[in-house]
Amino acid sequence: MGKVMHKRSKPLQVNPFKLSQPMGATLAFLGVDGCMPLMHGGQGCTSFTKVFFTRHFCEPIAIQTSAVTDAIAVLDGGDYSIVESVKNITKKVAPSLIGLHTTGLPETKGDDVRGVAAQIEYPLVYVNTPDYEGGFESGWALTCTALIEQLTEPAESIDDNKLVLLPHVSLTPIEVEKIKEFIEGFGFNVLALPDLSTSLDGHLGEKQAALSSGGITVEEIRTFADAGLVISVGDSMQSCATALQKKNPEMRHQHFSHLQGLEATDALAELLLTETGFSGPPLTVARWRQRLQDAMLDSHFSLGQSRFLVAAEPDQLAGLCQALYDAGGKVTVAISTVDSPQLEKIKADQVLVGDLEDAEQLADNYDVIVSNCHCEALAHRLHKGLVLRGFPNWEQVGNPLKNDLLYEGGAYFLFESANAATVMRDAGRGTRTPENHCF
Amino acid sequence: MANKPKIKELLDESSCAHNQTRKVACNAPTPGATTGGCAFEGAQISLFPYADAAHLVHGPMTCLGSSWETRATGTSFAGRDLTQMGFTTDININDVVFSGEEKVAASIDYIMAHYAPEAIFVYATCVTAMIGDDLDLLCNQAAERHGVPMVPVHAPGFVGSKNLGSRLGGEAALAHLIGTKEPETTTAFDINLIGEYNVTGDMWQYTPLLEELGIRVLATLSGDGRVAQIRTAHRARLNVLVCAKSLVSLTRKLEERYGIPSIALSFYGKRDTSKGLLAIAEALGDAGLIERTRALITREEAKLSEKLKPYQAFFKSKKAVLNTGGNKTWSIAAALQDLGIEVVGTAVKKATEDDRAKARETLGDKGVLMMNPGVEQAKIIDETGADLLLAGGRSLYTAIKKGIAFADVNQEKKKSYGGYAGLLNLAEDLKNALQNPVFKNVARRAPWEK
Ligand code: SF4
Repeated sequence: MGKVMHKRSKPLQVNPFKLSQPMGATLAFLGVDGCMPLMHGGQGCTSFTKVFFTRHFCEPIAIQTSAVTDAIAVLDGGDYSIVESVKNITKKVAPSLIGLHTTGLPETKGDDVRGVAAQIEYPLVYVNTPDYEGGFESGWALTCTALIEQLTEPAESIDDNKLVLLPHVSLTPIEVEKIKEFIEGFGFNVLALPDLSTSLDGHLGEKQAALSSGGITVEEIRTFADAGLVISVGDSMQSCATALQKKNPEMRHQHFSHLQGLEATDALAELLLTETGFSGPPLTVARWRQRLQDAMLDSHFSLGQSRFLVAAEPDQLAGLCQALYDAGGKVTVAISTVDSPQLEKIKADQVLVGDLEDAEQLADNYDVIVSNCHCEALAHRLHKGLVLRGFPNWEQVGNPLKNDLLYEGGAYFLFESANAATVMRDAGRGTRTPENHCF
Repeated sequence: MANKPKIKELLDESSCAHNQTRKVACNAPTPGATTGGCAFEGAQISLFPYADAAHLVHGPMTCLGSSWETRATGTSFAGRDLTQMGFTTDININDVVFSGEEKVAASIDYIMAHYAPEAIFVYATCVTAMIGDDLDLLCNQAAERHGVPMVPVHAPGFVGSKNLGSRLGGEAALAHLIGTKEPETTTAFDINLIGEYNVTGDMWQYTPLLEELGIRVLATLSGDGRVAQIRTAHRARLNVLVCAKSLVSLTRKLEERYGIPSIALSFYGKRDTSKGLLAIAEALGDAGLIERTRALITREEAKLSEKLKPYQAFFKSKKAVLNTGGNKTWSIAAALQDLGIEVVGTAVKKATEDDRAKARETLGDKGVLMMNPGVEQAKIIDETGADLLLAGGRSLYTAIKKGIAFADVNQEKKKSYGGYAGLLNLAEDLKNALQNPVFKNVARRAPWEK
């Protein structure tokens, strides 16, 4: 492990890839069935967020704004805009839940969101997510915590078959589904909060996008607390698990920093074996483990001669770096959007909180970039390989179905990265010489 | 603060057709029932295309973090295209409590040291306007320090809509740039293009034609723009307002202050492009130029119709339903007609009265103006046997259910549909949509649904 820089070193962000806290909150609410995310702030934040996710997921996105204006801002403590918003939303649609989340503006003027929420009769969960604090991960995590604290009813009994999964913000819809399936393979009944795997997975259906369609239901969240086990994935989700345990002290918690690569997946399998007393996993799981082993060997030659820049949200960063490291990829630079306990654990020569200008200045240190589509111009100009991951990816279709997790996704990710590195080297040489050493 | 444009005045702008019927409504979004961007976004749209200027957004992460590198505004600038870069102070709680002014000053110095732009636009956003950071003072001081224009842009999102923000962006250019420099030479045919942002190179579809006619684009606001050019914009003979009502107030002020007359036009579709070129020539008032323009139009239209022939044969007797908003309700309809497609209906729910009138004019008596397109469009498809639905992504399912082709009108364009040549791009895309079997194929029933 190399040196870690926890703070950005300049007064501004240049080519930022950090995303705001309210945007993380919006996305979390979109994983709740029939929810209307209501962003409290100027109308622009909502409009930007809507366009951002619409382009990333290629799906219509449900969201509304409290449309605070300067005239209202001065006079109102939030009551007017929030109460009016709820009135106007419920005039047109009947959401199962309104997901109220703040931005910097109402927080700066000191709106009492909690107080206003208490006056509203309609089912509503509120969360304070000013965008001058935290980031994408914390907005998502705070929202999950709020959903648990405000909806989940305390329980005393335990259903040993029931398991709650708390995935971090960067897991794609298909990845959430794959974790659920993996655990279900051991006989558990799995509920994920939030659950994008059934809402933003990109399925054809009659949805007007007036509300989120699919996701975990409000009723399921209410009755969470009798789950025997809660599994959190990503360090940003630890506090949500704690909040859930407060609803039922009998509930046990297991945490995974990420689920990428052989070792992390083995740890999950091991836990599930211990929990169930099974002697082995489902056959396909064992098969996929062998495929991942083979994938590591097949890709090691290309990865072993490649230096990587990985830039992502901390929880995803940790997983991506580990997966590359395991098969010999040299992560020379890892850039995180925000600070996190993950950074100390990341296997990279250099770990920093920064932006894509930093990425550019360190360009001599890497050959292949693993990051979002804001890196495309950089990769193009500096002739680097590119593996697109994270938010946003406006350049490609199919983002909800990209799977890097567990044995199966781990194999896909290594192949894609190794191939990207090979293409990049070939382009640099101007010739095509076979360099695949397959086993 | 003296520099801040008067928002009230801008909203009352007499030349805004939108305002005649709804005196105050332009400015009051309804909580919980509002779509569309904020004033900051509007200002960003109108000023960002200056590729040799840096654009520093003073605010928390949502404003820029979600919005940079989203608009494909082409530039011919040989240096690094600063439009496609993002600069933001990304303020934190400390800045909110104790002011973010120091950060702005330090950020400006950083940008000057590393990128040496021709100017820096510094944008206020909701939080930084609320806490009262003094951008005017900071910009004045920085301009003195660095010797290049520093332009404060006072269009925080909470003052209103995108449209208002575009006006505020124009005001900032007027207050701080226009008239601050003399052009090296002038010609009798110098024009400014106002409200043309060169998205996907739209402007380059017709600027070669202007050049051929001897018309010089002195400055733009702001497509393929340069700071040095906009500073000389006061010497133009004519302001050409392209497809952007929001900037009428700017052209009016340029007329009052510098005596520059203006015309408004669009370069979307064949008819508008021809009309537009001729209007410019006529406004410049030179008989020779008008004659040359007529000849050029005849030549270009002939060239285009030759190239359109195979498409027109293909589009013959094809019918389309259009579901969009604003001026697209008629401008796209007109372009479709140029291709030989019959437009049987267009949505006017999100259109001004002016646009509705134009839509009626374009579609003729038979065409349906849909006030409730969500419900009506399926019915019209059934009744007319339409072949193509052009709408936003939400309507995709309607097209699939009806088994007809679909084109997303809101999708981020990758190529230009503007000018004469752009029509060929549109024709190609629509032909591809109509020929694509995918819409019928995905509509297949699953075996377990039969
Ligand atoms: S509404 Fe205000 S805070 Fe939101 S994006 Fe616009 S300027 Fe930024």
